[in-house]
Amino acid sequence: MNSDLHERARLLIAISGPGVASGEEQLWLASHLETCSSCREFAERSREAIQALRAIPIMAGTDLVSATKLRVRRRADELHFRQERVWVISTCCVVVTLWSALTTATFWSALAWLGRQTRLSPTIWQIPFAVLCFMPGILAGIVLLARGTHLTDRNGTL
Amino acid sequence: MNATTCYFVSPMRDENTEIARGLKRRDPDLFDQLIEKYQHRLLRYLVHLAGRRDLAEDFFQETWIRVLERGGQYDAHHEFSTWLFAIARNLAIDHMRRKQTVSLDAPANNDDGAPFDIPNIGQPSALDVTIQHELSEQISCSMQHIVTEYREALVLRFQEGMSLEEIAHVTNSPLGTVKSRIYRGLSALGPLLKGVRL
Repeated sequence: MNSDLHERARLLIAISGPGVASGEEQLWLASHLETCSSCREFAERSREAIQALRAIPIMAGTDLVSATKLRVRRRADELHFRQERVWVISTCCVVVTLWSALTTATFWSALAWLGRQTRLSPTIWQIPFAVLCFMPGILAGIVLLARGTHLTDRNGTL
Repeated sequence: MNATTCYFVSPMRDENTEIARGLKRRDPDLFDQLIEKYQHRLLRYLVHLAGRRDLAEDFFQETWIRVLERGGQYDAHHEFSTWLFAIARNLAIDHMRRKQTVSLDAPANNDDGAPFDIPNIGQPSALDVTIQHELSEQISCSMQHIVTEYREALVLRFQEGMSLEEIAHVTNSPLGTVKSRIYRGLSALGPLLKGVRL
């Protein structure tokens, strides 16, 4: 008998299950098994192996399940806290950006008017404008750069 | 899809959608339910994959943490169990690659020779428990001599009762490869169990 036929029969035996092999294939397999003792032996061994596999009782202990639940809850709290913090920071950024957009033009106009009234050179009132505009950003940058240096504790807090 | 299939598939979809929503919300009560529901199946799979119960228990906890962190990625069109097992598998493989102590192609063994501890279950009689325990250990030992990929396919197919398509999804392998792994796994396991009295 062709070895391909045995291979086909054994593959069908191995993957057998509901909806896997068609009715035609099952009929062919049944007729093949009637005439082939080696494939019958393979089928029997496979059946025993599957039965053995299903007999292994591996159960999760209650300690493991409780510990997992606790860890998951803690991590969920951490993630919620982090998410809230990101939301607060994002809101602050949006508010600051809008506020800056609104006030910068007004501030520029006010300083320009003051400069004209006092007949100061534009450079003199433009320097404090630049300092006032960029100072918050510079300060924030310094604080962020200082994180992770000797200025912080183990948690990265200044 | 016929009416009968629709009848069964629709509630399953609803359940998956509910799970997906809960995962996105990181609902702790849903996680408690899921951990309870999949505790034995997931641990069994991980024990066979890792070859050691202590390592499998670590993977078990890490899997749920990863599910929590990546819950938003779950697609309700697929079974939750398939997604869960795929996460567990990736986690175990990542760990094995990092450690580089266990090859995915090599059988994993414990230092003491026993692949993993089988807990005593049920209280029928001391003798029954002992026999069952020994039998399980023998089968487990035999399983550890099979290539990891074959072992994994056998566990998913015959212990977890997954369809071939689901196994292909979990293992990220073509259907033909899954069939071949099951066939080769059974061919390898059969002779190993010859001496074991079932």
